[in-house]
Amino acid sequence: MESGPMSVDSSALDPPAVPEDGANEPKYGGYSRFELELEFVQSLANPQYLNYLASRKFLTNPAFVAYLDYLQYWTRPPYLKYLTFPTATLKMLELLQQEKFRQDIISPDLAMALFSEGMKTAVEWHREG
Amino acid sequence: MEKDLDGRFERLEKAIGQMIDTLAKNNPSSKVAEELLAAERELTEGLKLLETHQNNNARIQELRQETSLLDTQIKDIASSLWNMRKELKAIPTTPKYPTSTKHQFTTSELLAYARRISRNTLPLPGVTNGVDMTPTQPPTQPTEPEDSFRLQSQPTQTQTPTTSFNLSFNGTVGTPGPMSAPTPNTTTNDTQPTTQQPPPSQQQQQHPTKATAEAKLPQHLKPAVNPLHDAAFHPWPTEDKIRMGGLAAIQRLVDRGVDPRGHDPEEEERRQREEEQARREAEERARQEREEAERRMREERERMARERERARQMEAAAGGGGGGGIERRESRGGEGAGAGAAGHKPKQFTFLGADDDDDDDEDD
Repeated sequence: MESGPMSVDSSALDPPAVPEDGANEPKYGGYSRFELELEFVQSLANPQYLNYLASRKFLTNPAFVAYLDYLQYWTRPPYLKYLTFPTATLKMLELLQQEKFRQDIISPDLAMALFSEGMKTAVEWHREG
Repeated sequence: MEKDLDGRFERLEKAIGQMIDTLAKNNPSSKVAEELLAAERELTEGLKLLETHQNNNARIQELRQETSLLDTQIKDIASSLWNMRKELKAIPTTPKYPTSTKHQFTTSELLAYARRISRNTLPLPGVTNGVDMTPTQPPTQPTEPEDSFRLQSQPTQTQTPTTSFNLSFNGTVGTPGPMSAPTPNTTTNDTQPTTQQPPPSQQQQQHPTKATAEAKLPQHLKPAVNPLHDAAFHPWPTEDKIRMGGLAAIQRLVDRGVDPRGHDPEEEERRQREEEQARREAEERARQEREEAERRMREERERMARERERARQMEAAAGGGGGGGIERRESRGGEGAGAGAAGHKPKQFTFLGADDDDDDDEDD
């Protein structure tokens, strides 16, 4: 989505403040960093979006990889509870830390397989229940 | 030690030699005999000393061995400790996120979270994503309410509208566990009246007929039977959602050449509204001022006209005309009565008065 050149410095080192005490922080297009990063980290759960990012060579950009590493703060409290798609988001975030996966997801076949597997699992996991 | 013993041996030997000499000379002396005894006693003592010496020596050797053994042991331990330390240091540890502080949360928080994510983790009843869920139906069907109901409705199975209604009612309101299971059931039951399946086949074997019934239902009727027919459940944000999100909004801003940093559309809109408001107020004010100015000008003109009129009347009065010094209205009445063109003409300056006069003339 972002198309400008990126630098390692562009990703902040500390996670953004949780909404309660982040009232006066700077806004980007009307959104806080918390909102944007929450949206982005959950968008990563969509295999097709990952495939798109890979096709735009984002996943081989060292700065972007560093950003993915930084995004791991979503796996911890107090941020964890804001994920509304926790299962897929956490799994994809974990997979994205592996270089092999970052290289492989450029294949539409893999994206498609992840897509159909995810759709299948989403209805099957509670089958016994 | 050896020297000491040697000395004692020598003394004994000497004493023995003296003793033998005295015996050989056949002149035994008690002094020599005593000397021999003393020498012998001393030697015995010396031998005893030697024995303890030897014992001590053995003990020393033993202890030395023991210490060397312990030394090697302690060296082993030290080296293994060193190795262990090295291994421990070599173990990769997670550099960030120390889990020292446990995050506290309450049950209500947990439940609230569970409720919040449930719509994204559990599909709506009947949404199967194309996965064949039928194998799970037999175990879920023999639950109490449905089962007892089926027994009741068995003889009147052909009147499927009621059964399907009840089943769908059970399916949607019933236990949340087998949520997805009952709904396919309802759809298949709904299909029965439309396809007019022969009742006997239904009763003898339900599941295969269900499958065929569903297969025979025309494709375009399926959404009517089940509103969620083609609905898919995505366990992640769909492309539409991503395109509607804040990141997309920022991309649009960037495309328009706006730097999103510090740019707030709401703020922008508010500012624009305020500007618009200010502009409108300014216009309103300008309009009012213009009207005020016009009004003033008109008043001024009227005043001037009045003054001129008065001056004329005064002039006329001074000139000997009738009605001098009286009210204008009256003077106008006088005009109507026939003041002449001299009185009428200046009146034309104020249109209304002239018109009135004309009307009056016409009326007359």
